[in-house]
Amino acid sequence: MSTTYEYVPKPALVKGDHDFGDITDMICETPLQKTPPLWYVAFGAANILLLVMLALIGYLFWEGTGVWGLNVPAGWGWAIVNFVWWVGIGHAGTLISAILFLFRQDWRTAINRFAEAMTIFAVMCAGVFPAIHVGRIWFIYWVFPIPNQMAMWPNFTSPLLWDVFAVSTYFTVSVLFWYVGLIPDFATLRDKATSKLQKITYGIFSLGWTGSFRDWWNYEKAYMILAGLATPLVLSVHTVVSFDFSVSLIPGWHSTIFPPYFVAGAIYSGFAMVLSLMIIARKIYGLEDIMNVDIMEKMNIVMMATGLLVAFAYLMEGWTAWYSGYIYEQAIFKLYVVGPYDWGFWILMFCNVVTPNFLWSKTVRRNVTLTFIISILVNIGMWFERFMIAVASLSTDFLPSSWDYYSPTWVDIWTYIGTFGLFFTFFLLFLRFFPMIAIAEVKAVMPQADPHYYEENGSNDHGKSGDNELKSNND
Amino acid sequence: MSQVDIKDRLTLPDQVNPTRGLIATGVVGLIASAIGYFLNHDQFFFSYLTSWVFYMSIALAALFFVMLQHVTRSSWSVVVRRIPETLSYNILPWAIFLIPVLFGMHTLYHWTHHSAVAHDPVLQGKTPWLNSTFFVVRQFIYFGIWGFLSYRLHKNSVKMDETGDWGLQTLLRRTSGPGIFIYAITVGFASIDWLMTLDPHWYSTIFAVYFFSMSIQAFFAVMILMVFYLQSKGVLQQTINRSHIYDLGILLFGFSIFYAYIAFCQYLLIYYANLPEETVWFHHRLEHGYQGIALALLIGRFLIPFLVLLPKKMKSIKNVVIPISILILAVHFFELSWLVMPLLKEHGYSINWMDVTTFLGLGGIFFGLFFNKFRKHKIIPENDPLLEQSVNKHL
Repeated sequence: MSTTYEYVPKPALVKGDHDFGDITDMICETPLQKTPPLWYVAFGAANILLLVMLALIGYLFWEGTGVWGLNVPAGWGWAIVNFVWWVGIGHAGTLISAILFLFRQDWRTAINRFAEAMTIFAVMCAGVFPAIHVGRIWFIYWVFPIPNQMAMWPNFTSPLLWDVFAVSTYFTVSVLFWYVGLIPDFATLRDKATSKLQKITYGIFSLGWTGSFRDWWNYEKAYMILAGLATPLVLSVHTVVSFDFSVSLIPGWHSTIFPPYFVAGAIYSGFAMVLSLMIIARKIYGLEDIMNVDIMEKMNIVMMATGLLVAFAYLMEGWTAWYSGYIYEQAIFKLYVVGPYDWGFWILMFCNVVTPNFLWSKTVRRNVTLTFIISILVNIGMWFERFMIAVASLSTDFLPSSWDYYSPTWVDIWTYIGTFGLFFTFFLLFLRFFPMIAIAEVKAVMPQADPHYYEENGSNDHGKSGDNELKSNND
Repeated sequence: MSQVDIKDRLTLPDQVNPTRGLIATGVVGLIASAIGYFLNHDQFFFSYLTSWVFYMSIALAALFFVMLQHVTRSSWSVVVRRIPETLSYNILPWAIFLIPVLFGMHTLYHWTHHSAVAHDPVLQGKTPWLNSTFFVVRQFIYFGIWGFLSYRLHKNSVKMDETGDWGLQTLLRRTSGPGIFIYAITVGFASIDWLMTLDPHWYSTIFAVYFFSMSIQAFFAVMILMVFYLQSKGVLQQTINRSHIYDLGILLFGFSIFYAYIAFCQYLLIYYANLPEETVWFHHRLEHGYQGIALALLIGRFLIPFLVLLPKKMKSIKNVVIPISILILAVHFFELSWLVMPLLKEHGYSINWMDVTTFLGLGGIFFGLFFNKFRKHKIIPENDPLLEQSVNKHL
């Protein structure tokens, strides 16, 4: 039997024959060059969508939440679905940057900067919805425990309030983590910049970085501490989001597996989004040697694993609904499968349960086009999952006479589309002005980073060597 | 014939042979328990189930750990991998020790009483799952799958020692990928079968994850104790260095947090929703002496390991991680008692001598089988492609 299996060595993390200088040049090229015209086109399109979102939010404030498709049993509609979807997408960035860092997964260096940026912008998109959902927007400051003459305090026993703290903490730590990682790279840009404006701007943000031993020592410490702080946040944010549903008595919402299941789903959709964006960006910016197919395969494996965890949670929920003997729980699951929103259920099943199984095949995992299609399907599936949870469970509640079908209005739909404008406006700015790959970190996982590299490979070739295989086994 | 320069000997020395002593303890413990059966057979079955699940959970978590190491191609763990491989090899013999539980089903599981089910519409709805025949069939399926996985992973890892064929690493990895998925489903339902259906009305969708989180934490405690036991006998003193201990320590720390997270989520959601059919389960476990165990779980499984292991240095200090591991294993046993015993002794928890005899009896057999297998092969995978990286790892 053993003869049928071949040993597959661990692949090198950076493809091609690059030394440190090449890596710096490859990544610094984009921020320092003149803006390409195509970027303006994309940025303009994103701006238009952003304006659509802002206009519709203005319309909402003027008219009230009646412009949305909410009705009496379904008091939570697209806004909450979109909130959970966006905040879930955000999780991949922190997982990659913090948890994979603690697990010493070197391959993360190719994508961590990129994924963290995505996290921050996705959380911004997410933050829009619960805020505008409150109805009386002028009282939004009530979510903060500000002493006031009415002696009124926020409802600290409500998970909706925990969300405010969980998401804002998460956002703060993510931004800090991202920025700390950026400091050495901003300094590289500062040193390579040719125009005065670039020198000054990158100079300010690099906080006087000199690259000395002391700088690096402090940097490593700060990075480690922030990774440690960010790790529980990956779990806590979506756990609290899941509490929004699961502390209630609504059948289909009250399930003890919700916290870990939401976290798995969040990472699942987040990896899908990173893949979708990465596959386009690496092509456009010519970074295929760093964000290479091996990295994509590893991300696909994580995506598949979390997808299967989600499938496991569906199985447990469905089985327990039957096993519980609780008629409302059984009824809601029947209504998911055969009911007013059964189309959503089958889309969800196809995208979330069937799709990841294609990734069992190594050929599919390494195929860029198929990966792109799968990542889009997963994002669709995860949106429908939240739709089924939020809307389908609410609109068929305990009393059949009060059931009402929920359908979104044009305002719902275009506000959601508009958030992509918000997301891509920031994301394009990031791609244009930031080093989109962590330069220093990628260098650290290259074979040249080994202190004995030049002794063993000759000192004249400056690290130009294809012999990565051998070296990667020797750290 | 190892391709890596290893200073330690790769087999267990003859003087390190606790097998006989352990098996003897096991036999004595089991005989004592068997006498207990005739004195109080209800107590016997409940004690036996608790102890049986205790060792089963460790063997199952060991299987998960082995598969995870193969899937992620972890290099750090290669020097300690033979231990979990051998621990999980015990799964198949452990099926034989399930037989007393099957004989005691009528005592243990309320749903096996036809008269009770006849008057209980909720239990009637559950009979397609909760019936003795299907219960036994499921056990065969579970043990068939786990037995296959553990056997295959052990056999091919040992084969690589002998043949030096690195292609086997690919085989091990390809077994582990789907293996983890099947493992999750089977262990999930098995834990529900063994423990959750003791309260046939109660249900919690997170229960499978909860069982897993307990098991994996206990498993790392066993790993740490086993490594230090071997080193105290002069085995692998240089090959397993501080960095490997540190990794085990950090995983123990991490999974203590994971356990707390899962256990807390289950508690909070049931507490908050306040549905009588769910809260009754915690109700039985938070009064009549059981609240003491509940508090011990919080302190022993989370607070102490968390606070003590938080500083980086602590995770690799022998005199710190050994007491913490013992504490966690003790609390693991009491947590299983906390899950099982309220069914027998609703009005007050007290430890029974049969808890001790079954624990020692099954423990002696379990570790006796472990050492019996462990000494037959190389104690580290000497030809593993990642061994060199593992050996050269330092803090």
